Amino acid sequence: MSIFTWFDERLELKKFKAKFLVKTFPTHPTFLLGEMALFSFITLVVTGLFLGFLYEPSTKMVSLFGAMVPSAYASVVKIDILPVGMIIRRVHHWSAMLMIAAVLTHLMRIYFTSAYRKPREINWLVGLGLLGMAMVAAFTGYLLPYSQFSVTATSIAYYVAKSMPWVGDWVSRLLFAGEFPSEGTVPRFFFMHVMLIPAVLIGLISLHLLIIVKQKHTEPRSNKNRKEAQGGRRLIGIPIWPEQGVISLSFYLFLLFVVVLMATYIPLNPIETYGPPSPGTPVMRPDWYFLPVYGFLKLIPGDLSFSVLGGKITPETIGGVIFPGLLFLVAALIPFLDQWKEPQYYIANPLHRPFMTSLGAGAGVFLCMTAVAGYIDVLHISPGRMTGYAILATLAAWSVTYTLLRRYNRKRGNNVKT
Amino acid sequence: MVDGIEGDKGEKAGITRRRFTLGVLIASAAGALGSLFAMLKVLVPEKKGGGYVTTIQPGDRLVYAKGGNMGALLQASSFNVGDAVLAFPSGKSSNPANLVQVIKLEEAEFKPPIHLDLTDRGFVAYSAICTHLGCTVSWVKNEKAPAASFTECFCHNSIFDPARGAKVMGGPAPIPLAQIGVKVADDGTLVFTSDFTGPIGPQVS
Repeated sequence: MSIFTWFDERLELKKFKAKFLVKTFPTHPTFLLGEMALFSFITLVVTGLFLGFLYEPSTKMVSLFGAMVPSAYASVVKIDILPVGMIIRRVHHWSAMLMIAAVLTHLMRIYFTSAYRKPREINWLVGLGLLGMAMVAAFTGYLLPYSQFSVTATSIAYYVAKSMPWVGDWVSRLLFAGEFPSEGTVPRFFFMHVMLIPAVLIGLISLHLLIIVKQKHTEPRSNKNRKEAQGGRRLIGIPIWPEQGVISLSFYLFLLFVVVLMATYIPLNPIETYGPPSPGTPVMRPDWYFLPVYGFLKLIPGDLSFSVLGGKITPETIGGVIFPGLLFLVAALIPFLDQWKEPQYYIANPLHRPFMTSLGAGAGVFLCMTAVAGYIDVLHISPGRMTGYAILATLAAWSVTYTLLRRYNRKRGNNVKT
Repeated sequence: MVDGIEGDKGEKAGITRRRFTLGVLIASAAGALGSLFAMLKVLVPEKKGGGYVTTIQPGDRLVYAKGGNMGALLQASSFNVGDAVLAFPSGKSSNPANLVQVIKLEEAEFKPPIHLDLTDRGFVAYSAICTHLGCTVSWVKNEKAPAASFTECFCHNSIFDPARGAKVMGGPAPIPLAQIGVKVADDGTLVFTSDFTGPIGPQVS
């Protein structure tokens, strides 16, 4: 009796295969972006396990090569000294960037192909939640090495949280375990980073995938004619196992190869260069995905504050809380503003949707311009002028895309409403 | 019939089983959430007074806050026009609110709203904590024209004019850095002569 038969008699593996592993996956290269995010998350969990065995979540001062430094900082320096320690830490950091990049491009794919339309509104919201939580995960990870960079970045976020009207004082003390820098902050961030946020992420990822299994994947438009010719309603694609499984596995192994290669050769977050916390703040910029908020904080005039219902709205609240909050709110509303009566099973061609596509192009250029605003000091552009450039570029991207797409569709005689 | 809809209809209290069960569920959920909220409150540490509270006293001597001379007394003779350093009051370097930037300029360059009486022989000192989001400010020295040097916070590029009482010249900082009195003592060291002229640290609330 083979091992397979032994397990099969108990777990009914053949039945499982017949029911789940033959599920159909529609194929399209961009359908791998979500998998890229999932695989990066797996890499993060595995490398995180390694780091968790060696990291010390405490700011008590200890001696390291004769200097007194916080023990969190000392433990990360010791990780870097290990034969593969620094590579693992860099794989962790690169994977975090890759995960957010993958989530963002996945979101763009969904947006531009209108795959958020009925019946997929719920999964669009779950996906936005995943993006938000991934960014919170990255942010809480910033603090853990407790370098000069970590402390400066977290301190800025602390004062942004504290600046919120009515609840700022309470929320900042809850999240940062007192007034930052307090000795409770690192243990609390460590718990959130390795336990709370990963748990929420795993929950949201499971929900995201369950909904896909229930609703089925959107299909490329080319499937429509083939399907009508067949007269069926069944999904056209390849089965999860072995076809899609093998593609996914080799894709993951390739990604891993690229990330390890980058981790080996490209320095990232060199905490030994930043040093432990000390007076003085060097020129430092956050990782790219926080650049829009960072740049926006530079653009807002310092005297732009007003009172509402006894609460003071400061520029810091506008740049650090209201601005990103509005971005997420607008994104969340998209499937409810672009409403469809009938369920949509096929992805749309972005060229056929001038209104939505041009809005997306405008939003993308706007975010890029606010990211560029993070560099006004090296570009020698004043905040006022940079604000002007950002508004102009956004309007230009939106109107030019819209006009061009309208013309494109008129020439082809396409009947395009929006 | 004991169970089911028939039984519900038969009750005389004017309340159906379904409504009663729903009420119990809502009440217990509210209780559970309320107790969770109480637990959340426990997670918020008590306020310690909060923010930046300086412990500088007039008469405190200034020492270097960083670099090779860290902890050594500042010597007026080691400054040229256009120089600036970060300094703490001697023995009080554990409180970040005590961090100041000491700058040497030409006295003739000082213009209002600087407090002239708090400067001495071109020496002027300001809080080194940016009033925007609490980073430490830096000194951008102009080698060709030392008097055109200025103070900048590298976090979000707020720029302060040291000759004009750290007036905000650009960037998102809401108010100037507070000035603090310094003078050159008889032995050539630098000594604080006053408290800060205004609020220090991030002005976020």
